[in-house]
Amino acid sequence: MLLIHCPHCQEHRDEEEFSYGGEAHIVRPLEPDALNDQEWGDYLFFRTNSRGIHHEMWYHAVGCRRYFNATRNTVTYEILETYKTGTQPTITGANS
Amino acid sequence: MSQFRSINRLPTHTGAAIDFTFNGKAYQGIAGDTLASALLANGVDVVGRSFKYARPRGIFGHGAEEPNGIIQLGSGAGTIPNLKATQVELYQGLEASSVNGWPSVNVDVMGIVGALGRLMPPGFYYKTFMYPKKLWMTYEHFIRKAAGLGATPVEADPDSYDRLNQHCDVLVVGAGPAGLLAAREAARTGARVIIADEQSEFGGSLLASKQSIDGIKAAHWLASLVAELKAYSNVQLLPRSTVFGYYDHNFLTVLERRTDHLGLTSAHQVRQRVHRVRAAQVVLATGAFERPLVFAHNDIPGVMLASSVSTYVNRYGVAPGNKLVLFTTNDNAYQTALDWHQTGRDVVAVIDSRSNPSGDIVAAIKAQGIDVIAGHGLIEAQGNKRVKRALIAPINAAGTEVTGAVRTLNCDLIACSGGWSPAVHLSSHTGAKPVWDESIVGFRPGESKQQERSAGACRGTFDLAGCLAEGANAGAEAAKLSGYGEGNTQFPVCAVEEYKEQPQQALFLVPHTKSTSRAPSQFVDFQLDVSASAIELAVREGFESVEHVKRYTALGFGTDQGKLGNINGMAILANALDQSIAETGTTIFRPSYTPTTFGAIAGRDVNNLFDPERYTAMHRWHLDQGAEFENVGQWKRPWYFPQSGESMQDAVNREGLAVRNSVGILDATTLGKIDIQGPDAAEFITRMYTNSYLKLAPGKCRYGVMLKEDGMIFDDGVCACLGENHYLMFTTTGGAAGVLAWLELWQQTEWPELKVYFTSVTDHWTTATVTGPNARKVMAKVCSDIDLSNEAFSFMDWRDGTVAGIVARIFRISFTGELSYEVNVPAHYGRHIWEALIAAGEEFNITPYGTETMHVLRAEKGFIIVGQDTDGSMTPADMNMDWVVGKKKTFSFIGKRSLQRSDMLRENRKQLVGLKTLQAKDVLPEGAQVVFDAKQTIPMSMQGHVTSSYYSSSLGHSIALAVVKGGHSRLGQIVHCPLADGRTIAAEIVSSVFYDPKGERHHV
Amino acid sequence: MSNSIKLESPLQYFHGSINKSSAPDSLFNGQIDCGLVIKEAPLSAHLNLRGDADDSSFCSAVAAALNLSLPLVPGTFQRDGNTSIYWLGPSEWLVVDVGGDAAAIEATLRKSLKGHISIVDVSGGQTCINLRGVAAETVLKKSSIYDFEDWDAAKATSGRVVQTTFAKASAVVSNRSDGSYDLVIRRSFADYVAQWLLDAGGEFGCRIEKG
Repeated sequence: MLLIHCPHCQEHRDEEEFSYGGEAHIVRPLEPDALNDQEWGDYLFFRTNSRGIHHEMWYHAVGCRRYFNATRNTVTYEILETYKTGTQPTITGANS
Repeated sequence: MSQFRSINRLPTHTGAAIDFTFNGKAYQGIAGDTLASALLANGVDVVGRSFKYARPRGIFGHGAEEPNGIIQLGSGAGTIPNLKATQVELYQGLEASSVNGWPSVNVDVMGIVGALGRLMPPGFYYKTFMYPKKLWMTYEHFIRKAAGLGATPVEADPDSYDRLNQHCDVLVVGAGPAGLLAAREAARTGARVIIADEQSEFGGSLLASKQSIDGIKAAHWLASLVAELKAYSNVQLLPRSTVFGYYDHNFLTVLERRTDHLGLTSAHQVRQRVHRVRAAQVVLATGAFERPLVFAHNDIPGVMLASSVSTYVNRYGVAPGNKLVLFTTNDNAYQTALDWHQTGRDVVAVIDSRSNPSGDIVAAIKAQGIDVIAGHGLIEAQGNKRVKRALIAPINAAGTEVTGAVRTLNCDLIACSGGWSPAVHLSSHTGAKPVWDESIVGFRPGESKQQERSAGACRGTFDLAGCLAEGANAGAEAAKLSGYGEGNTQFPVCAVEEYKEQPQQALFLVPHTKSTSRAPSQFVDFQLDVSASAIELAVREGFESVEHVKRYTALGFGTDQGKLGNINGMAILANALDQSIAETGTTIFRPSYTPTTFGAIAGRDVNNLFDPERYTAMHRWHLDQGAEFENVGQWKRPWYFPQSGESMQDAVNREGLAVRNSVGILDATTLGKIDIQGPDAAEFITRMYTNSYLKLAPGKCRYGVMLKEDGMIFDDGVCACLGENHYLMFTTTGGAAGVLAWLELWQQTEWPELKVYFTSVTDHWTTATVTGPNARKVMAKVCSDIDLSNEAFSFMDWRDGTVAGIVARIFRISFTGELSYEVNVPAHYGRHIWEALIAAGEEFNITPYGTETMHVLRAEKGFIIVGQDTDGSMTPADMNMDWVVGKKKTFSFIGKRSLQRSDMLRENRKQLVGLKTLQAKDVLPEGAQVVFDAKQTIPMSMQGHVTSSYYSSSLGHSIALAVVKGGHSRLGQIVHCPLADGRTIAAEIVSSVFYDPKGERHHV
Repeated sequence: MSNSIKLESPLQYFHGSINKSSAPDSLFNGQIDCGLVIKEAPLSAHLNLRGDADDSSFCSAVAAALNLSLPLVPGTFQRDGNTSIYWLGPSEWLVVDVGGDAAAIEATLRKSLKGHISIVDVSGGQTCINLRGVAAETVLKKSSIYDFEDWDAAKATSGRVVQTTFAKASAVVSNRSDGSYDLVIRRSFADYVAQWLLDAGGEFGCRIEKG
């Protein structure tokens, strides 16, 4: 049961209010039709699956209904920071 | 005052009498007893039988560590299996029985197995009973019954259980000396403190202590400290509360037993409550378990932990025997001999494995004239259902060999102590790996993974002064880190008189004159009958990892989770592997710390509260009409409205014909509805759907399909333009929340520059669908301010107007293929509008219909239901819905690019078709597999499956939708559906539109 | 036809419900007959408001239209008389006017607000209930994972609001200076929430009243 700081509500709130949104900072290609199948497939399906530092999206579903990002250690489950969508993390790992 | 003097009750100890029964026999205890202390007071030696060998077993400990006194409490619906007699508080009328002891603890049905114990070696399940496989069920039945894991109640639990979400700055686990001081120091800073302890009284080891603190008796000192804690408004005291799990981010679960001690009949209140605590900081002060000594037949009733003997004497006034032999490796346990001596009963001797014990307390014991036999081991207990003798012998300094002649001591009680093992369980739950410390001969808690610290005995600090100081420190530190106080404590915290102690000896297996494999069983894990020789055998058979040996021998698998046996077992394993204990390591402790009832875990989420049932505003009308309901997500929707004597099929046939021939009415409230506003709304919606909404004018609706980025159909529905920059999107009933989150995801994370807001209005609007050739006539009776003519109000238009006096939005969209009006009003008016429409439709015999008829009608039209006819691997083309994909859209809408991936262009993709069975009355089961060659031998080539199937009363034959490989090019072909019952039904592949293929009826 | 228009609030069928089967009689002395009293404020105006909190003209226009300032601090609300504005998110607010007319409020707002905004009448989809009594906070703690004690600790005796889980549904919970709590719940979950409250409040005695 994670305790997650919502950068919009500016409070730590319980995991049950949130839903997980997958890896953050994946930009949708501006011209999908210009991509070959492999490039499009990389965008669609391939994720870093980091061991350790991971940047991911969370949705405060039963709260402010905002998406935001979290930097989480996938080994310890420690959430090192949360930050608003459109901003960059301050903590980055070697693999991220 | 007890009128009944139990044989082992000390005369100094009195209390109100309490009647109880154990294994059907009546006994009396006194107020303050546990079931264990009361049984010991009554001289009940055998409380159960062991798991594997059915050996008689007696009370061994006094708390959560108890391996033998495992009982079934109560009977009937409220019975609880597998409680520890040491943790059950006695109450008037308590009924308990042994869980292990089929058919009776005193009759040896399993004696034959016990006598031939070597027939059931470690891994015995794997070796003996796995083959032949078909007999496993038989074996298991026998073994389970014989082993006796307790009986689960067969009736519904009559009690109520509860959950409480708690938040605090400092959670203190354990209210022994360390925990109490931690709580006090934290409380003084003003921090919010919760302190939980599994016992009925706070105090832990102090409850049975004869020491003095600050010059006063421990009991008095304790009382004033607890009073101080109770006086703080910022402190919550939770007695009878076991912290049973420690989860991520300092989330801990606490089981509070609120009425169990009052008896099962008082259960109008909450019986047990789980506190779900989120703590900023945690202090673990969970104490330690005394370690038994592993000698031959150490499981005979009458062998107990030294501290347990002291606890029964000092706290409960029970002396469980007459002639005591104490066997110890340390100074600490000498207190038990002193306590026993003070009862006036006989201390036969103290056997000390160390060659030259010389601590203060050893001298004190000798001063009492008690015989201390140093450099000896108690190598074997003898007796059948009660200890009669102890065999002792000199042993070498390393404690590995018997070095001299064996002597016999007559006794009826053996107290043993191999030192103390810190209770590192909760810290282990966090992932902290316990660290072996030779200096305390035990595992200390590992490096903290969360905001927690251990204090006192659970950290390996066993002297009282040390526990108090550590507790105070930990409490102050925890408070400071949560924002309260300066982290300071005064030193010394308390003045405590203590004996100076000499080092203990590490002795995990007491040598015998025979080798371990030939000596009488030396038990390591009592509950599961794991002996030292079994562990050595596991090693001989090639097991090396502690986790493997645990599973092979079942060491630590009992309901006590090896609280007593684990350390000895690991040490014996390490020795057999010829490596250190540190190298061998320990197994990982996981929640629950002690068994927890399912009732407590479920809380109030049972019966009608198990899952929310969502109702529409017309729900009570449906109930009054005798509707049968179907679950659609959490919604309860009318399934069909049976009239008297009707079967479901009768009702569905009638409802369907009514819609086709006159008019029907459907409660369509549950469809998801999202209000969309903003200057970029049309652009945004166009990016989400496969078709374009850029030119959708106010007053118009359009059907759209939404894809995930992988090109697969995700949801569908109608979107209406309400006005400039204002739209209303309908989603499927089940997809409502997911679609809203999906829209938010793309707007917030990918296209924040698009100005658009989304608001759920699912609950705001009630929707009544009036559909059928007479729908317009019905509407005309309740709506006078809209021109209902087809020219003025066409298919796929919507209009504002007044219906039965209520401002309404009416949509001419159709899921039946008939002329339809979907009337939307704010839900407060839902029942009013529904009844008004029913009244208006009376002359046309307006017929309410449910979801089953809705499904039949839409299947007749070949309209898909996302999630039924699609399964997350279907594209619009697969559904023969290429028409809904806007080929000319400039923006590459979500999922568009994926539609060009090579797999999407494959010719034999499963495609939606209609199936018409050759026999009109045959209705295919949904999910039936489709094959091309009915004569093919098994395994047949599966070519598709049926997704929807019904009997169509309008058409007079069955209809089905199916996805079939290359189906769109197979129209007219015959396929076969082999069924589980052996029949094979043949069907023709036809268009998925069965009814009104030109779509003329809804355009009227 | 309009004189026979029947309105039904979400908790209509629960008014008058009581459960004190498991509460000891000693709890019921004098005036206090239940540890938890739930009162519905039915058929009020509820509007969802969206706009840019960083746009001062938007904020001042809302304030002028509703005669109440827009709460910009997360987790707070503003109230004057029967009108409240609850902060729901950084660009989202809930306007509740007990006994008010949603259409009139929407019209007023639409007249005042310019640019990219959204106003949605959600009155039919939700209802307000007030929880008062000695057990109100305990029942909230049973139902929701949010730390309501923190509001007391921060001396915020009123003016705090949170949208959070409530049993297996959700609610917008806010506090009043009289120690009671207001909940805004969704219509389709209202039966469930009412049954939950009657069950969870049963040990203290619990009844539901019409406001």
